[in-house]
Amino acid sequence: MATPHSSRIEELLPAYALGALDGEDLRELEEHLAGGCAECRGQIDLWQRDLEALADSVAPVEPSEMTRARVLRLTGAAPAPRRIPGWLAFAAAALLLLAVWGAAGQIRMGGEVRRLTAERARLATRVEALGREVDQARAEARRAARALQVLAAPGVQSVVLAGLGPAPGAAGHTYVNPRTRDALFYAFDLPPLARDRTYQLWFIANGKPVSAGTFAVDPRGTASLRVDRTVDARDIQAWAVTIEPPGGVPQPTGEMVLMGEAS
Amino acid sequence: MDPKEAEDLQLMSRVAARDGAAFTRLFELHAPLALGLLGRILGKRNEAEEVLQEVFLQIWMQGDRYDAARSSPRGWILMMARSRALDRIRRRESARRREEAAGEEAGDAVPPLGTERLEILERQREVTSALGLLSPDQRRCIELAFFEGLTHTQIAERLKAPLGTVKSRILLGMNKLRQTLST
Repeated sequence: MATPHSSRIEELLPAYALGALDGEDLRELEEHLAGGCAECRGQIDLWQRDLEALADSVAPVEPSEMTRARVLRLTGAAPAPRRIPGWLAFAAAALLLLAVWGAAGQIRMGGEVRRLTAERARLATRVEALGREVDQARAEARRAARALQVLAAPGVQSVVLAGLGPAPGAAGHTYVNPRTRDALFYAFDLPPLARDRTYQLWFIANGKPVSAGTFAVDPRGTASLRVDRTVDARDIQAWAVTIEPPGGVPQPTGEMVLMGEAS
Repeated sequence: MDPKEAEDLQLMSRVAARDGAAFTRLFELHAPLALGLLGRILGKRNEAEEVLQEVFLQIWMQGDRYDAARSSPRGWILMMARSRALDRIRRRESARRREEAAGEEAGDAVPPLGTERLEILERQREVTSALGLLSPDQRRCIELAFFEGLTHTQIAERLKAPLGTVKSRILLGMNKLRQTLST
């Protein structure tokens, strides 16, 4: 039951605007706000305006030329050259791949693929039920091999995404094969969404967001997405994930939960 | 309305339409203060610059989510910077960064140049003096909440003060700040 508006509630507002409210006070105020109190909303905005004054109290600092160039590049001006060492990206990618699939006891590369191919040829003629299981494993091995085509590509472009407000503990990685322009995306620790929402992946090229598809997370909060033929990897300036209606939307409208810039 | 805020509002609506020139101007006008704030919160110049890039990336992608009824453009940018910085701090969960970075902070501030800088400095003096009208305890509590993202309970722990005392210092301090700023 929401608490009615009162002077007691009003006293909680300055600390709430500061982000200092916690415990029982926070619970009480949030219950009250969930009831849609316009008076509180207005007062919170006014306290926030006072806080802007606190932000003013620091000395300004001129951003470095590099920061300035990277920010302004977002608008679609000429991109700066990338400098990720291929071996570093591959090592990170290999570790990531193992983390994503190795932990679940899934397929490892190379020798496993050959072994399963031989086994399937034997079993397929003898046990149909086992054959179904091996088919599934083979499909996973194929998927893994295709993933390696991106992850182990020479000059692979990788970007790390960090979680924002709604999902501060989340993280993501994207990898783009500069030759084929295929991309792989992995996300970790994203919260599950309500049924009327989905996650949507975007990349920003030439200053504009382009949809790379929608995805859902598994019970562990993990997701992966393959994006075939994006654009020239050098034109991709950033990646982001937003929360959108099911089926996705042509331009981002919802809250951003993951974001990362290409370096 | 203050002419600067009028210009900011115009720039924001053009940024929402992905106008690169307006975005550049917005960056030139507001990045220095945002970076100063980020430096104060994060304590490390290079990290502050990284978060500054993230903030402006978010502005570029979500400029159409700015709501003029809720805050000024500058306020929106500064509060976004503060949120992103506090997010990063919570991720790091480090209590010692300020001591480590204390040596870096001095000397990073830009010397004043031109009227825009003078106005910023005037505003700083006004706010610093407004903060100066608070008791040192009130000011300390509010600064811990604002620049380090601490809650009532965390501030009480940090200062080894009773929770009730911290709550009333913040309430009284915020009320006094409001009074001073509105006169």
